[in-house]
Amino acid sequence: MQTVAKLIDTSLCIGCKACEVACQQWNDQEYTLGTFQNTYQTMPDLAPNFWNLIKFRETEIGGAQSWLMTKYQCMHCADAGCIKACPSPGAIVQLGNGIVDFNRDNCIGCGYCITGCPFDVPRLSPKTKKVYKCSLCSDRVAVGLEPACIKTCPTNCLTFGSRTDLQFLAAKRAEELRADGFAGAGVYDGPGVGGTNVLYVLKHAGRPEEYGLPKDPTIPWTVSLWKGPLKWLGNTVFIGGILTALFHFVKFGPKEEHHRG
Amino acid sequence: MDKRVERFSAPERLTHWLVALCYLYAALSGLALWSRAMWWLAPVTGGGENLRAWHPVAGAVFAVVLAVQFRRWAAQMKIDADDRRWLAASPRYAMHDETGVPESGRFNAGQKMLFWLQSSSAVVLFATGIVLWFPESMPRAARLASILLHPLAAVASMGGIIVHIYMTTIVVQGALHAMTRGYVSQAWARSHHAKWYRQLSDR
Ligand code: HEM
Ligand code: SF4
Ligand code: SF4
Repeated sequence: MQTVAKLIDTSLCIGCKACEVACQQWNDQEYTLGTFQNTYQTMPDLAPNFWNLIKFRETEIGGAQSWLMTKYQCMHCADAGCIKACPSPGAIVQLGNGIVDFNRDNCIGCGYCITGCPFDVPRLSPKTKKVYKCSLCSDRVAVGLEPACIKTCPTNCLTFGSRTDLQFLAAKRAEELRADGFAGAGVYDGPGVGGTNVLYVLKHAGRPEEYGLPKDPTIPWTVSLWKGPLKWLGNTVFIGGILTALFHFVKFGPKEEHHRG
Repeated sequence: MDKRVERFSAPERLTHWLVALCYLYAALSGLALWSRAMWWLAPVTGGGENLRAWHPVAGAVFAVVLAVQFRRWAAQMKIDADDRRWLAASPRYAMHDETGVPESGRFNAGQKMLFWLQSSSAVVLFATGIVLWFPESMPRAARLASILLHPLAAVASMGGIIVHIYMTTIVVQGALHAMTRGYVSQAWARSHHAKWYRQLSDR
């Protein structure tokens, strides 16, 4: 099965938020009214019932005023921190096509995945005590449809397809942008997490923080230490402790009462 | 018949077993999350969703009752010069060769070390456990630290508990009886805690 991906060409995003609406509609989620913040930021943040956010940033880059609109959702990492952290078998599954999907029947609501995710994506619902995030419309993709956000995007900012094809397309778009005078244009695809299945074309690829994207995302080191060396240390202590006790019992056995002068 | 000596009062025994009960549940439910190989403990401790809800509650009760136990025992747990010599001689103690092992007071130096190990790891378990309990309302840095330190403290604590259970149920015959029924024989007291026994008989 080939790995699917989504390409977000931020240079073409007009911030219309049609993708936010399409996501809510397809996933049958209620609309929660935000508060007006005097900017083009409509919704404040991702939420258990809101999986696709357009981040609006007003910045100055190279002396030029920039309005950056960035679609934000689960990145469907190849080396996914959420899966690494999750203790409950089957609560997070990585499909053959690369989609990272939550299976809420198996989720115990511990929130470990939130801490493991380098992109701060999963959200815990206080009501259901389960986590939620973008599924890359795994239900639509399974029957040959493209994700709802992609279907609805009016500007071709979003493209869906095989990851290999989209990598090629992304590199081409970045080159076009460089030819147009955006010398810093490039592709953002998370090599630190084995590559993400959501690819970005950024005009200022060297400064992803300006877009609200983490610079050089990797699985947090405390999470790697916890799931790696600490597991070995712990298992050595547990098994070693029990074996030592067993050895001691066989060799020395219980203490006899003794009498001192 | 040998005369009886009271070793642990009823309140001491009650706190100890309350701590032990909460600890047992916290440890088993925690181990279910520790690794996939231990996930079979999840149905044993109530199922994934329930253990996620109950583990911190059992942990919190454990911490509160342990604090009571700490207040009661801390003064008796100070490590003195004899204890330091006891620790130096502890390999011989483990091999049942008591030459050069100083006499112990009410608690021997090994028990004192266990007391301080459990008390300090409980502080870490409690502080980091609260963070893991409410991940949505905790800063990311605190969660990243807690996800590592909580199981680390649990490993230290459970390592100590393995030794503790082995010593008190198998190696030192009569120790378990002291904690269940509260008393020991004079011979037992003289044999295992000679300094304490003398203090008692001097009174
Ligand atoms: C002192 C109060 C404690 C609190 C508030 C607390 C809280 C928590 C919370 C919230 C979790 C996350 C999952 C869940 O909710 O089940 C957790 C995991 C865990 N707890 Fe505790 N806990 C406490 C004490 C203990 C004790 C006494 C032990 C055993 C020695 C323990 C061992 C563990 C382990 C092994 C894990 C899993 C760590 C991993 O996934 O690697 N906890 N604890
Ligand atoms: S972005 Fe976060 S939630 Fe999505 S796959 Fe990566 S680690 Fe998991
Ligand atoms: S909240 Fe659910 S999906 Fe996330 S780590 Fe815990 S069990 Fe896994």
